[in-house]
Amino acid sequence: MTIEFRDVHASYDATIPILRGVDFTVNDGEFVAFVGTNGAGKSTTMRLVNGLLKPDAGEVLIDGIPTTQLKTSELARRVGFLFQNPDSQICCNTVRDELLFGFRALKMDMDHAERRVDEIVAEFGFNPDDDPFLLNRGTRQLLALASIVVLETPVIVLDEPTTGLDFRECVKVLGLIRRLHEQGTTVVMVCHDMEVVADFAERVIVMHDGLVVDQGPTFEVLRNRRTLEAANLVPPQIVDISLGLSIMQPGLADTLIGSANTLNEMEAAVASAVGKGDHVTARPTYAPTAPGAEDAAGIVAPATTPAMFEGGAR
Amino acid sequence: MNGFLEYVPGTSLLHRMNPVAKLLFAVLFAITCFCTGNLVFLCAMLVFALALAASCGMMKQTFGLMKAVFVFSLILAILLIFTTPTGDRLIDLPWGYIGTGSILAAVTTIVRLEAAAIPLFLTFYVTKMSDLSNSVVKVLHVPYKYAFTFSSTVHFIPVFMNDMKGIMEAQTARGVEFDVGGIVNKIRLMVPLCVPLLVSSVRKTNSAAIAAEVRGFNLRTRDSGYKQYPFAAFDVAAMVLAVLLLAAAICITVFL
Repeated sequence: MTIEFRDVHASYDATIPILRGVDFTVNDGEFVAFVGTNGAGKSTTMRLVNGLLKPDAGEVLIDGIPTTQLKTSELARRVGFLFQNPDSQICCNTVRDELLFGFRALKMDMDHAERRVDEIVAEFGFNPDDDPFLLNRGTRQLLALASIVVLETPVIVLDEPTTGLDFRECVKVLGLIRRLHEQGTTVVMVCHDMEVVADFAERVIVMHDGLVVDQGPTFEVLRNRRTLEAANLVPPQIVDISLGLSIMQPGLADTLIGSANTLNEMEAAVASAVGKGDHVTARPTYAPTAPGAEDAAGIVAPATTPAMFEGGAR
Repeated sequence: MNGFLEYVPGTSLLHRMNPVAKLLFAVLFAITCFCTGNLVFLCAMLVFALALAASCGMMKQTFGLMKAVFVFSLILAILLIFTTPTGDRLIDLPWGYIGTGSILAAVTTIVRLEAAAIPLFLTFYVTKMSDLSNSVVKVLHVPYKYAFTFSSTVHFIPVFMNDMKGIMEAQTARGVEFDVGGIVNKIRLMVPLCVPLLVSSVRKTNSAAIAAEVRGFNLRTRDSGYKQYPFAAFDVAAMVLAVLLLAAAICITVFL
């Protein structure tokens, strides 16, 4: 399912434009991250995707159909939306009822719904009789995500899904999102954590002051220092280090670092460029790599504790 | 964009008035509206209230308020039409009749409520909540706890309205159709949303109370506020005007 923005202008109050001509396309099955400072227009863009906001001008197309022609419930069947604050979403007295809520609202087949809820309860490890309001913040966020996932929408939109979560909860939430994407779901995510973006997104769209200022494959965008500076963004530390190396040793570093397409590859490239073994780490890893396992780049994952907890560079 | 009852910055005369003077004026104005049933006088009061709103650039907010008050007063007006059989008989009912007096009573109620509400709400739009509570403590010697409770309550109204908006949007995104069906369907859909609103309200209120405690809330006294709230000539004039209006309303009721 594709999402297409064509010269979209949007505002909450007609006098203050928030989006000023936004163009982009998210293709079926892509994992796209939106980055930008607060007030750049990211959340407004997300609200346009699921029809909570209609464009003042231009078109937002979901699978070729303008959102202005679709009812909210029709859009809800196509686009699942995870809000930043799970407490806005949770409204039932038990976890089971919460997971069934979407099916009831959309008047879907309840036999199928019960089966799906059983699957999700097992997958997420919930107790279906728990009171959602008594769960901790991370579990409530997981429940909010689960209540979207259970509906099997072809697109999910995540508005800062890791806000307020501790590291382990982040890993859990992001692991689930990665799995959904691998199963073919189109994922659109707003995120301030550039390392999460670097670890997960295939493509990045940079927004600033209501405009898309850059878009492209994640590492192409993250290496573009000029764009990031213009949008007041700070790249992941290893990218910054690699950019510094590119200046110090243009030939060697450029060749190695320029070809890296994951943070792990970039760490390996930096290690190689500075002649310090095969791995340098300056970050905790969100990527769900088993301790001791090798990833595609042949990098051995840290045993247990991320570098930040061992007095690493971050 | 400012929300319901949120302070709107400005430099108008109403903005600069003493907060206590504004509050007293608004209260006396409201009492005046309820002291007379003279429709002409009430219409004049409504025009005066609208002029006050215009003088501080709050017409947009005032019209929004008037719409909300109109819905409420319309319910009362309909009740009055069917339960106040006075004046020339217009329509017969099984339990009485609708007369010209019934219509007049209904219209009077609408105008009275509109006129009484505007200055009260304007007070909040043109006064910072902190100034209002501090001045009430300093000038009227109201215990700070009560002033703080009142100002916190008012402060939380737009917060909870925003929360409710966020909750409704979250449910809309899950397929709840608030825009279809009648009022009964809407109420049915709204009921489950009261749970998250209540939870978030209790959490916010609890956090605010703890934050106030850890910053020495109980140490606050009437004299611990730094800012002074002196009365200017215009403040006195406004209160005198309010008393004169009240006296006029009483005279009209007694002598006409």
